[in-house]
Amino acid sequence: MRNFFHLKFYGLILVAAVWGCLTAPVGAQEIDPDRLLVEIDNNMWSDTKFVIGRLVIDNGRRVRTLGVETWMQGVTKSFSHYKSPARERGTKMLKLENKLWLYTPQTDRKILIAGHLLRQSMMGSDLSYEDMLEDEKLSQAYTAKLEKTELLAGIKTLVLVLTARDKTKTYQTRKIWADPKRKIVLREQRFAKSGKLLKRIDFKDYFATGDRLFPRRMIFRDMLKDNTQTTYFFDEIKFDLKIPPKYFSLRILKR
Amino acid sequence: MILDMAFKNLIRQGMRSLLNVLVTALIIIAIIFALSLLNGFQAQALRNMSTTDVAGGHYRVPGFDILTPTEWEDLTLPVPQALRHLPHSEKAEVLVQQGQLFPNRRLFPVQLRGINIDQSLLDLPLHTLKNGRMEIGETIPVVLGKQMAKKAHLTVGDTVVLKWRDKFGAVDALDVRVMDVAPMINPRIDEGVVWMRLDHLRQITQRAGEVTWVAVKRPVGPVAGFEFQTVENLMADLLTLLKHDRRNTRILWFFLIALAGISVFNTQILNVFKRQKEIGTLMALGMTSKKIIRLFSLEGILTALMAIVAAAVLGVPFFIWFQGVGFDISHLSETGFPVREKIFLDIKMAEVVYSTLVTVGIMVLMSWLPVRKVARLEPTQALRGRAIT
Repeated sequence: MRNFFHLKFYGLILVAAVWGCLTAPVGAQEIDPDRLLVEIDNNMWSDTKFVIGRLVIDNGRRVRTLGVETWMQGVTKSFSHYKSPARERGTKMLKLENKLWLYTPQTDRKILIAGHLLRQSMMGSDLSYEDMLEDEKLSQAYTAKLEKTELLAGIKTLVLVLTARDKTKTYQTRKIWADPKRKIVLREQRFAKSGKLLKRIDFKDYFATGDRLFPRRMIFRDMLKDNTQTTYFFDEIKFDLKIPPKYFSLRILKR
Repeated sequence: MILDMAFKNLIRQGMRSLLNVLVTALIIIAIIFALSLLNGFQAQALRNMSTTDVAGGHYRVPGFDILTPTEWEDLTLPVPQALRHLPHSEKAEVLVQQGQLFPNRRLFPVQLRGINIDQSLLDLPLHTLKNGRMEIGETIPVVLGKQMAKKAHLTVGDTVVLKWRDKFGAVDALDVRVMDVAPMINPRIDEGVVWMRLDHLRQITQRAGEVTWVAVKRPVGPVAGFEFQTVENLMADLLTLLKHDRRNTRILWFFLIALAGISVFNTQILNVFKRQKEIGTLMALGMTSKKIIRLFSLEGILTALMAIVAAAVLGVPFFIWFQGVGFDISHLSETGFPVREKIFLDIKMAEVVYSTLVTVGIMVLMSWLPVRKVARLEPTQALRGRAIT
């Protein structure tokens, strides 16, 4: 009988310990959230990047697939060239610092996307042009605070609340579900100042490329809309390649 | 004697004269109706613009143009000192921002208009906002125009997400509650516009004390940092449209007059042709060609004068009836014209007199032109009815 009580007692301690391991900010004392953010950025970002991908836009009524090639240099320069479907073929988008130009072969004109236009949906997707401009290193724009740990798709993640360093950032608060072991983000949520959830991004199917881990697809959801989602498939990705300067010049915005 | 003869001739022609008189009378009525209807339309459009939006002009932030929404979002400034002391009956402070509404979880770009709720300069049906609290709770109270509510499928009491950016560029979103769906007599402040209290809009966009424009009852002179937009400037597009409409009405007016002229001209040609023997007899009896021309012309003038009397007899009751029922143009409000439901005639005496005189003048001319050939007639040929073949 006494042995039984001892067994029960140790069993409870064991259960409590396991529970504590799962729910408490595991390793929180060793993990600096800001440091983790830097490591996540280091994994995701490189000096230059080239991506061949597909944007699959599901607006609830029909699904469209856009083929796109993108060249990126740092966080301030990016050039996208849409290859398909026929209707979008030849459309080009150039981001330089905090300006965004759009070129459509139908009009043969380049348009500076500014002001209210920035908040419009990009090519009918769940991303706005503003989201394109916001593509930047999280560690530079936000400070991180550990909120909790959470199991996401069977992976133990740290939920970090990111607060913008300055009040000009579009999203003042973000939340990321980070895998501290692999230094990757599995989910991101973007919030309005009021705390209302606006966007959700799921990072799926990480694969190894060189010494990095990169998601095979990213699923964007505008949480204010119903039944819509945009999936960005990364079919081919190259890091640290040499990109000719002409890709980041306004002169490229022509037929 | 000629007058007596002309009158008797006119009566003797019976139905032909009556038709001439009636056609001319109806044309006079139609011309006055068209001109007065346009006047009524113009007056209502300008009045609606003035009472709901323009007032006596706007003091605007320089560079602001409502038709370029991609550029004006950050064109706001604190209310200038010179306008702060004006009473609420003489100014209306307005802040305009961009927003996105998500009715039924669809994106609907909107213009957020915050207006000082104590103002009484502009006639806007926003009294439900006045009763609300100054602090923003879980929802922001808003008022929509009928057209806007219809397009967004929203009704009173509905709650819907509104997204906007604050002064610094940060995106924010909150639920708004539709407190009222109000009839706006000016579609320009209805479609795509979400009305809210100025203090609320300032608070959510962090633009404390700022405005996009201040509508004033009358100009108060130059104000530093702001530019004054006159009523003519603010209504320039509408005035241009109305100017084109007036030109189109003139074309209609011309056709109607031409129709009346052709009718009289035709009658006179027929008269001269059919009354050759009468003309020959008059000549044989010693009447000069000039007197015969005068006789025929007088018949035309009498037709025109009788048409004026007929126009008055038929037109006045018609106009009185019309002013009671109006003309339904509710379909036009969807095209952006600041008019709603019905318009009424705005009859201007000067226009009536002018139009009538021109019509009579044309009638007289058309009566005289065909009978000139009487002067060339041989009395003997005319007596046998062979002078004109």
